[in-house]
This record gives sequence, structure tokens and C-alpha cells, in this order.
Amino acid sequence: MNKKLISLCLGLMCMALTFGICVQIKTVNNSNSKISQNYEENQLRAEVLKYKEKYDNKFRDLENAEKTLEKERENVTANNEELTKVEENIKKGNKVIGLTEVTGQGVTITLNDSQNLSKVLNISDAVVHDVDVLAVINELKNAGAEAISINDQRLVPTTGIICGGNVIDVNGEKVGAPFIIKAIGLPEQLAALERPGGYLNLLKEKYSIVAELKREKSVTIPKFNGVINYKYVQNAK
Amino acid sequence: MVFIAIVIGCLIGILLGINAPMISYTYSSYLAIAVIAALDTVFGGIASVINKKFDLKIFISGFFGNAILAILLTMLGEKLNVDIYLAAIVVFVWRMFLNLGTIRRYYVEKWTSKISKSKENKQDSK
Repeated sequence: MNKKLISLCLGLMCMALTFGICVQIKTVNNSNSKISQNYEENQLRAEVLKYKEKYDNKFRDLENAEKTLEKERENVTANNEELTKVEENIKKGNKVIGLTEVTGQGVTITLNDSQNLSKVLNISDAVVHDVDVLAVINELKNAGAEAISINDQRLVPTTGIICGGNVIDVNGEKVGAPFIIKAIGLPEQLAALERPGGYLNLLKEKYSIVAELKREKSVTIPKFNGVINYKYVQNAK
Repeated sequence: MVFIAIVIGCLIGILLGINAPMISYTYSSYLAIAVIAALDTVFGGIASVINKKFDLKIFISGFFGNAILAILLTMLGEKLNVDIYLAAIVVFVWRMFLNLGTIRRYYVEKWTSKISKSKENKQDSK
């Protein structure tokens, strides 16, 4: 009798307990509380980091593979004059579209948000926008720059520069201030960007944005890391 | 017997809980602490059954008393902006582990004595 009573009592308690647990789980699953949001955010962040690490590893593998490919190619084409010519053409083409690391004389331009906020009325005037970077790039190209990079993002024919919130988006990668724009070309010509009335001058004088141009004897610009997909372009006959 | 009752009780509770309406999120922290308190009491009950010290009055009063005290402490903590429920959880979980230790010791000892007995039986038969 006593044992029956005990088991009945324990059973009832367990019922109440599991009932409470079920209700609680349902409530927590259904609510969009701040705590669970934080938890989810942390989870997502951890996942992103994991994927980034994976990506970095794969990228390193890819680079190694490319190096071996290059060596193999050199070995194969070493004895054949025609193939050597083709290889040289490929290299020249890659240099132009930004698939190889290049170096040469040029300039580096540093654009940074205004350090002196008391000078500007509108906070938006104090930050470097995508259009500012675009204008500087345009002037660089106009002055004869042959290869350009923004914070180590190589500009290729398919590159877009768009606003991405408080950063800008170059080649689909987020790039933030300070923007270091490297350009290869004749430094004397490229230095013309500093002229009074030029865009750099405007940024400096009107918006008190940090805009400095430095002539360099040697600038190294990394290669484009992505893939250039040309789906619709065909050779015209 | 006791364990069959516990399993049946759990199953009925799950069935009821799945079909039960949701409570608003404001009260879910109270329910959570009450659930922890109840879990502690159930473990304590099982341990006391093993120790043959089970008392129905103490068990039931512990079940409701612990849960209500925990809820009240949580409410007080919310009013004072102190996370008192953390202390309650620490105490409950600590006691849960103690009780689990008792239960575990009982069953491990039972099991080992059974094994040694069966070995002795085998040796006798040989």
C-alpha cells in the first residue's frame, strides 16, 4: 500500500515536471526574446568564423596548386617556341586583367574619415563615401594608372564600387576606412591628382577628409582573388 | 514499481505538455525555475525511496515549497535587479548531483554484488 502510494506520488510529480518542461520548451522556441536572439547571433557568428577558416585553408591550397600549375606549364613550354609565345601572351593578358601580382612605380593615396569633427556640420560630410573613392579612381585612370587596388582589392574590368553601409563594397568584399589606394603609373602624371581644384583637394579643403598622395618608387599590387566569369561575351565574327 | 510509475508519469506529462497552450514569455523564467525546483524534488524523492526514508508529507511540501520559494526569489530578484535565480539554480543543481550520487552508488553496489554472487554460484556448480 505504502509503495503504491509512493509510486503514484512520484508519477504525478514527474507528470507535472515533464508538463512544465514541455510548456517551457514550447514557449522558448516560439519567443523572439533578446536572449535567444543574442544566442542565435553568437551561433551565427561562430559559424561564419568557421567558414572563414575553411575558406582560408582552401584558398591556401588553391594558391599552392596554382604555383605547381605554373611550374608545370613552364616545364612543358620551355622547349617549344610556339608554346612559349602563347604562354607569354597569356601572361600579358593576365597582367592587364589583374590576375597576376604586379609591381612598379606609382603613387599611394590615403583617404580617411575626417579626424576633426568640429569642422563639419553634417556627419555625413566627414566620412569617405563610395562616390569619393569612385571619383578618385576615375581621376587615376584618367591620369594613366595601369593597375589600381583599394585596400589590396585589385580593380578588374568587372569590379564595382558600391556603398555597403559604413563600409564600401569592392569586388564583393567589404572595405573600410582608411582607404589606401595604390596605383601603378608614371608618378609625375598621377601626382596631378593633387592639383588645386582636383577631387583630392576638394575633399581636403571642403570636407576636411584626410586625403594624402605619396609618390612611390615601387608599389606592389596584389592579384584579383575572385573568378572573372564572362558568360555572355562572344567573339564577333 | 516506482520506476514504472515515473516513466508513465513522464509520458502522460509529455502528452499533456505538447497539447498545452503556450504561456507568455514574461512568465517563462518563473516556470523555468519552478521546473528546476521540481526536478530537484523528484531526484530527492527517488534518493529517499532508496534510503527508505521516504515521507509523503515532506515530499509534497518540498515539491510545492521549493517551487514557490524559487519563483518568489526570482520575482524579488527582478524587482531588485539582482539575479537571485542563479543562486537558486546553483543550489538545486548541486542537490540534484548529490541525490544522483546516492542513487548511482545504490545501483552500482547492487549490481556489483549481483555479479559477484552469480560468479560464486557458477564456481559452486562447477
